[in-house]
Amino acid sequence: MAFIECRNLTRTYTRGTNAITPLDDLDLDIEEGMFLSLMGPSGSGKTTLLNLIAGIDRPTSGSLTIDGHNIANSSKSELAAWRSEYIGYIFQLYNLVPVLTAYENVELPLLLHGLTRKERHRKVSAALDLVGIADRHDHYPRQLSGGQEQRVAIARAIVTDPRIIVADEPTGDLDKSSARAILDLMQSINRDLGRTLIMVTHDPHAAEWAQKTLHLEKGRLVEQDVPQSTTAGAT
Amino acid sequence: MISLRYIPLILKQLYRRPARSGLTLLGVATAMFLYYAVQAMHEGVQAATEANAEDTTLVVYRENRYCPFTSRLPEDYGRRIANLPGVESVIPMQIVVNNCRASLDVVTFRGVPPEDFQSGMMKDLSITEGSLSDWKRRGDGALVGNRLAERRGLKIGDRINLGGITVTVAAIITSPHPQDQNVAYTHLEFIQRSAGNADGVVTQFNVKIQDPGELDAVAASIDDLFREAQQPTTTWSEKAFTARAASDLVEIVGFARLVGWGALVAVFALVANAIILSVQERVKEHAVLQTLGFHNGLLAKLIVAEGVFVSLAGGVLGLAASAAVLSLGTYSFSVEGLSVNLEAGAVTVVAGLLTSCVIGVLAGLFPAWQASRQEIAACFRAV
Repeated sequence: MAFIECRNLTRTYTRGTNAITPLDDLDLDIEEGMFLSLMGPSGSGKTTLLNLIAGIDRPTSGSLTIDGHNIANSSKSELAAWRSEYIGYIFQLYNLVPVLTAYENVELPLLLHGLTRKERHRKVSAALDLVGIADRHDHYPRQLSGGQEQRVAIARAIVTDPRIIVADEPTGDLDKSSARAILDLMQSINRDLGRTLIMVTHDPHAAEWAQKTLHLEKGRLVEQDVPQSTTAGAT
Repeated sequence: MISLRYIPLILKQLYRRPARSGLTLLGVATAMFLYYAVQAMHEGVQAATEANAEDTTLVVYRENRYCPFTSRLPEDYGRRIANLPGVESVIPMQIVVNNCRASLDVVTFRGVPPEDFQSGMMKDLSITEGSLSDWKRRGDGALVGNRLAERRGLKIGDRINLGGITVTVAAIITSPHPQDQNVAYTHLEFIQRSAGNADGVVTQFNVKIQDPGELDAVAASIDDLFREAQQPTTTWSEKAFTARAASDLVEIVGFARLVGWGALVAVFALVANAIILSVQERVKEHAVLQTLGFHNGLLAKLIVAEGVFVSLAGGVLGLAASAAVLSLGTYSFSVEGLSVNLEAGAVTVVAGLLTSCVIGVLAGLFPAWQASRQEIAACFRAV
């Protein structure tokens, strides 16, 4: 059984009187430790699939089994607890809390884990070190560049040591060199920490950092690419 | 309850809009200031007028007269009252007030015979400065109540002119009875002469009885004694007498309490509005917190806690300010020569703090419920 297993996964929601089905009867297996990118035109269902895997949305029908648990049947509070353990989420626009410093933003998910202040400090410092932003720990988001904000967001996503990291267009708002640095960082997290990484992107160059790329269209899987070399993008 | 580790997050969220949070806090503080002041008035009226089973003092007044200027009774009534069964002591008293206006600083003179005063009234009083012998020796001496002395900054030996009557402070007294805390006791003869009244005429008699259970019976026997006299009397218990005189005040205080409750409702609306605005501008941020694993209940608690913090902080500020102002001012209302202190106890402070908390909780409930019902993915789609 795959680490992440989608069977007949469908998500429909209504907007006004229209029913929209961004994800339609999708079957997909993802192995643990993989760096996967999801591509496709707007409305193809990439972000919907990412949100379902991250447990922040629930399928209308079908099953979504992660590490042996069908999260489609979980209650809201069960999903919240599951997310805090399994998921690190990286957003396109970073979504840091503006009134908190970089350190406090990274500390946020740890507040849910019943750790002592000292334990939290150790984990936050390690995460900030890993993403190379430790010297900006007391800066507020408004005092950081886009690339630095995204590094803080990545630190926040990895600080609880989750099994899965999902990223929704993490380089979509960054210049080329910052985007490259962020993709390098994500690749090293996948490679060195062995975490499963699923990234939504519009950018074919960004997708080259992944081990595998899935193309979606109208809520269905249409193509799978495996790059010649998973480090191609970095060269 | 919410874990202490979330407190910095809550405080930082409140500091996000310092002007809005500050104004909300100021609004709560103002309302709680008003709440405490109104409660102080209410408690003052209660303390002055609520009878209890231990009351043993009767006040004999001229029938159908309702103010000290028109109640005139022959001083020798005292001797006849003293002979009635159940009566322990009788003190003739001339009441003069320094002005007729509504004021928080009316001074009431009570002229009493020094020997009668010592035997009949001293057991409820204690002298904190000066001496009773000085007062007895000086014809113009005054025993000044502690609240009056504090309000006017009076010291032993000070000569003060109040409403045309000049007295010398001989001693400062304290008493559990509000009526003794705001008056200046003088010699009866002195006040009769100073106020231009005829000798042998007094405003009222204060009668101590032996058995509290006989209060009504002794009052009736006093009024029966003078029913056919040229100056008939009406006798009340001291608290009932004060309640009658303060009945207008009771109505005003009742209305003021309505205003106080109205202020609390306004504060509820103010805090609720501030929290709702705060939550509305953080829809996406709450979705991010939920994505990190904050469950709906925790999110709701954090929002309610914001309401409680701002409301409680305002409550502490307002109650402290109000208690300080009333304590330093030692204010009291005066009605027909009777005093109602503006003071409230610790119970009112605790009730005020609890009220602040409850307002904070209620104000935060609706926005907390709204925020906790949001679908995370829908929030990201909508923003």
